[in-house]
Amino acid sequence: MSRRVVITGLGVVSGFGLTTDDFWQGISHGRCAIKPLPQQDNLKISLGATLPEYDENELFSTEELPLLDRFSQLSILAAEQAATDAEFVSDEALQDAAVIIGNAAGSKNTDEEVYKKIHTSKNPRVHPLAIPKGMHSAVASSVSSRLGIHGPVFSVSSACASGAHAIIQGCMMIQQGLVDIALVGGTDAPFPYVLLKAWEAMRVVSDEVCRPFSKDRKGMSLGEGAGILVLESEEHANRRGARIYAELAGYSMSSDAGHITRPDVDSIAKAMRGALQNASVTAEDVDYVNAHGTGTLANDLAETQALHQVFAEHAEDIAVSSTKSMHGHTLGASSAMELVGTVLALHHNIIPPTVNFTEAGEGCDLDYVANEPRQQQVEVAMSNSFAFGGLNAVLVVKSYP
Amino acid sequence: MILENVVEVIVKTVHCRAEDVLPDTELRSLGIDSLKALTVLFELEEAFDIEIPNDLIPSIVTVNDIVVRLEGVQH
Repeated sequence: MSRRVVITGLGVVSGFGLTTDDFWQGISHGRCAIKPLPQQDNLKISLGATLPEYDENELFSTEELPLLDRFSQLSILAAEQAATDAEFVSDEALQDAAVIIGNAAGSKNTDEEVYKKIHTSKNPRVHPLAIPKGMHSAVASSVSSRLGIHGPVFSVSSACASGAHAIIQGCMMIQQGLVDIALVGGTDAPFPYVLLKAWEAMRVVSDEVCRPFSKDRKGMSLGEGAGILVLESEEHANRRGARIYAELAGYSMSSDAGHITRPDVDSIAKAMRGALQNASVTAEDVDYVNAHGTGTLANDLAETQALHQVFAEHAEDIAVSSTKSMHGHTLGASSAMELVGTVLALHHNIIPPTVNFTEAGEGCDLDYVANEPRQQQVEVAMSNSFAFGGLNAVLVVKSYP
Repeated sequence: MILENVVEVIVKTVHCRAEDVLPDTELRSLGIDSLKALTVLFELEEAFDIEIPNDLIPSIVTVNDIVVRLEGVQH
C-alpha cells in the first residue's frame, strides 16, 4: 500500500515574524532577517535571525507556560497556524493525526536556567518541571495537547536534518495507511549563551551576514524558528475539499558514515538521486533546488559538486537558492521552514533568492538566483538538508494539478 | 505570617483568588494536582529557604497542613 501524500497546511515562525505570511513576504522579496544580537560578555557571535519579541502571556495560558521551553512555544505557534491554514476547525478533525516534530539543539534554554541556578545560587534548587519542560519530545507533546491530537506523537533528532526526517516519517505513515493526517516539521531556539559559545568554538559562524556560495563567504548565521506542515493523504484531502499546495512526491536519506562534520559529495548525491527516483521524476524535471546552502566553505562546494554529479548538464539550467541567507540556519527547524519556502515557491511561481551574494566562490558555478527573487514556473522542486553526523535527507515536491 | 506567605505562593502558582485560599481549603479543590503541588512546594522552599522532606508530602491535604509542616521544618 502506498498512498499519495499532499501538503494542505503551512505554518512558520521566523526572524521575519510570527506568521507564515511574514516569512514568505521576507524570503520572496529577498529580505534578510539576520540582525545584531544583544551584546553579551566574551561572545564573538554578534548576529542572528532571532524572532521579534512577543508576549508569551498573551499567546499561552498560565497552565501551559511553566511547561513550555522556547522551542516548544515556537512549535505550537507554527503548528496552530498550519492547522488553521489547512482549515481544520472542529476539535475532532485532528484527533487521530500524527505529530512528528524534529529538533536539533534541544531545550538549551531550560538547561541553561538550571545550570545557572545550580552553579551560582547558594541553595541550588531546580524547578520541578525542568524535566518535562526540557525533554526533546516536549515540542511534539505540547502541540498534541494544544490541538487535541491523540494519534502517534513523537520527536526525532538528527541535527540539521531533524525537520526533514520528521517530514519523511509522517509521509511514510500516511503512505502506509497508519494515519490520514500528519503535522510534521521542526523547531529550534538556539540562542542561549552556552550554545552560542559552543557554536563560536566551532568557528563555522560568520562574523558578518551569511553569503552562501559567494567567494567571500565566512560561514553560517544562526536563526531561530519553527516550520510545521500538514501532510494528508490525497484521498482524505480531496474528500474534504482541502486546498492542496503541492504533492510531497518523494524523499531519500543517506548517511556519510565518515567525518562528523565534513560533507561527503557521493553520499549527498546518493540522497538526491534517491529522492528523484522515489518521486518518479527525472533530473530534467527539476526546476528549483532549495539548497542546504549554509554559507560554510565546505558545504557550499560539496553541495555544488553533488548537484553536478546528479543533474549533469541539466545542473546549469536549475535555479538553486539558499534561503538560509535570509532566515538563518535554524538547525532542526531549517529543513521544515525551507520546505515551506519551497512549497510556496511552487505555489506562487516565485523563486526566493540567495541574498548577500557578491561573487561566485571557487567551484560554485551554478545559478544561485543571486540577490533578487525570480518569477518562474516551478513544477518540481527539491529541498536539501545535510546534517552534522553525515545525516542527509532530501525531499521532492511536485505541483498538484 | 506563614499562612500569608503560603497563600501568596499558591495564588502565584495556580492563579487562583487569594480569598479562595483558606486554612481549611483542600489543595485539590484549588486545582492543585500532584505536579502543581510540587511547584508550590518548590516555591515555598525558595521563599523560606528550607528543605521540605519527601516523607512530609503525602500527609498534606489542606492549606493549613502546609503551614503546620513549614512551622515544623523551620523550628
